Amino acid sequence: MLETDIGIKLENPFILASGILDENGYTVKRVLESGAGAAVTKSIGSSERRGFEPPVIYSDDNYTINAIGLSNPGIEDYGNEIKIALQAGKPIIGSIFAQTPEEFASLAKKMQGYGASAIELNLSCPHVNGYGMEVGSDPELVSAVVSEVKSNVNIPVYAKLSPNTSDMIEQARAASKCDGYVLINTIKAMKIDINARMPVLSNVYGGLSGRSIKPVGIRYVYEVKKETGKNIIGVGGINTVEDVLEYIMAGASAVQIGSAISSHGVSLFTDLSKELKKYMEMNSINSIKDLVGVAIR
Amino acid sequence: MKYFTVSENIREAENVNTLEFYDDIRIIPGQFIMAWVPGINQIPLSFSSTGSPKSITVKVYGDASAKIAGMKTGDRIFYEGPYGNGFNNITGKKLVIGAGSGIAPLVPLVNESTTGIISGKTASDIILTSKFNPDRLIIATDDGTAGIKGFATEAMREIDIESFDMIYACGPEIMLKAVFDYIKGRDVKCQFSLERSMKCGIGICDSCSINGYQVCHDGPVFTSEQLTKMDEFGKTKLTYSGKRVFF
Repeated sequence: MLETDIGIKLENPFILASGILDENGYTVKRVLESGAGAAVTKSIGSSERRGFEPPVIYSDDNYTINAIGLSNPGIEDYGNEIKIALQAGKPIIGSIFAQTPEEFASLAKKMQGYGASAIELNLSCPHVNGYGMEVGSDPELVSAVVSEVKSNVNIPVYAKLSPNTSDMIEQARAASKCDGYVLINTIKAMKIDINARMPVLSNVYGGLSGRSIKPVGIRYVYEVKKETGKNIIGVGGINTVEDVLEYIMAGASAVQIGSAISSHGVSLFTDLSKELKKYMEMNSINSIKDLVGVAIR
Repeated sequence: MKYFTVSENIREAENVNTLEFYDDIRIIPGQFIMAWVPGINQIPLSFSSTGSPKSITVKVYGDASAKIAGMKTGDRIFYEGPYGNGFNNITGKKLVIGAGSGIAPLVPLVNESTTGIISGKTASDIILTSKFNPDRLIIATDDGTAGIKGFATEAMREIDIESFDMIYACGPEIMLKAVFDYIKGRDVKCQFSLERSMKCGIGICDSCSINGYQVCHDGPVFTSEQLTKMDEFGKTKLTYSGKRVFF
């Protein structure tokens, strides 16, 4: 009943979002065994990267702001983590970041070789110079990246896009050769401590996630689904089954969960599955497909 | 961010200071804060007193710890937390084993009948000895400059381990693994406080994890039963960048 299809088949629509609990293969394995339908890896680059110094996260009840800085062990070392995570027997989606189409393609091929079921292109990290959002805001470059990656792998390729843009539809069109969109990445933001009289994050700027960004995510999922009709994975501020339904009705075929794990723990995946099933049974809905985009006018 | 206002700075040893402060916040022994030194860094620090006054004991490792160790009365320690599960403090007969500054979070568990083992590389690493009944304290140093020569496990051989209702251990993971291996097969319970590379403190960045469990959130205290199932324990960990390395 909870199965969904985003170019790969998932036993439920709940996917672990990139950057959360996905640096260590054992953690990804545990999250999958705790009920997630699939997991996206941490964004992996060509070489080892330390990331920013602490503080890298600030959080309160309604939001989280992070500037981890794309820390990662580099693609050569990450294969071992995927190998561990694959023991859970569920799809792994490899997230990658790079600067050129060739570098993206090389990383994607490695991810495919490691056993990833799909690729997520990080075109939207808001806090690292030269990567993510800076690549994503150049439509020609985005188009070239998607084409190059698509011609080098035979697994689905998703483009994770940034809400920090004046024209989301232009971004989506530039990435139109991809198999689906992941909407949205974090919103560029900051936190100032009034006693210390300075920004909390060492990088000053970070990416906003959590409950406070959900309405923005809903709007972009709705807009891009209406405009393109392509598969969409919704992400941003999901904590409850109502949030999930809102994303699905806006046009998402699956959703990703991240910041909410901090307060709910990894059991959130199983809890959401149970509640979504209950909703579907009560409303005589047999397939998630029957709910995708129903709110679109 | 929240902050503690320092009421007193007590020098424990060279490069080791205890900062006292009065605050109503409830702390379970073994919990920690992420202390923020604006413009420098943010580091995990545990409580060496959870009563009144409360205190943290800090050893100077880098710029942030040096700044905190040098704080004066009235200075503010900015922090997030408290984080982590903390120890399950029992009422029976306790043995606490701390290596270096790892003894600090064990101090709130200590009472008159508690036995202590404090280990370190050399005499100057041995701190907070005054918190123990001198008749129930064993000191061990790698170079023999204080107490017996050898690791913490050498000191464990001097006492009847199975006579304790609970053992508490804190220190580098390699030392914890040695204690874990030593008690294996013996009829005694043990709680271990782990320390791995922490970034977020709220259990989502996966930097400090061990076999899928976040040391900052699910730990830092794990029982011997839990650690038995964790094959990463004492074997591999992730660096700050996320690279898997062997101990």
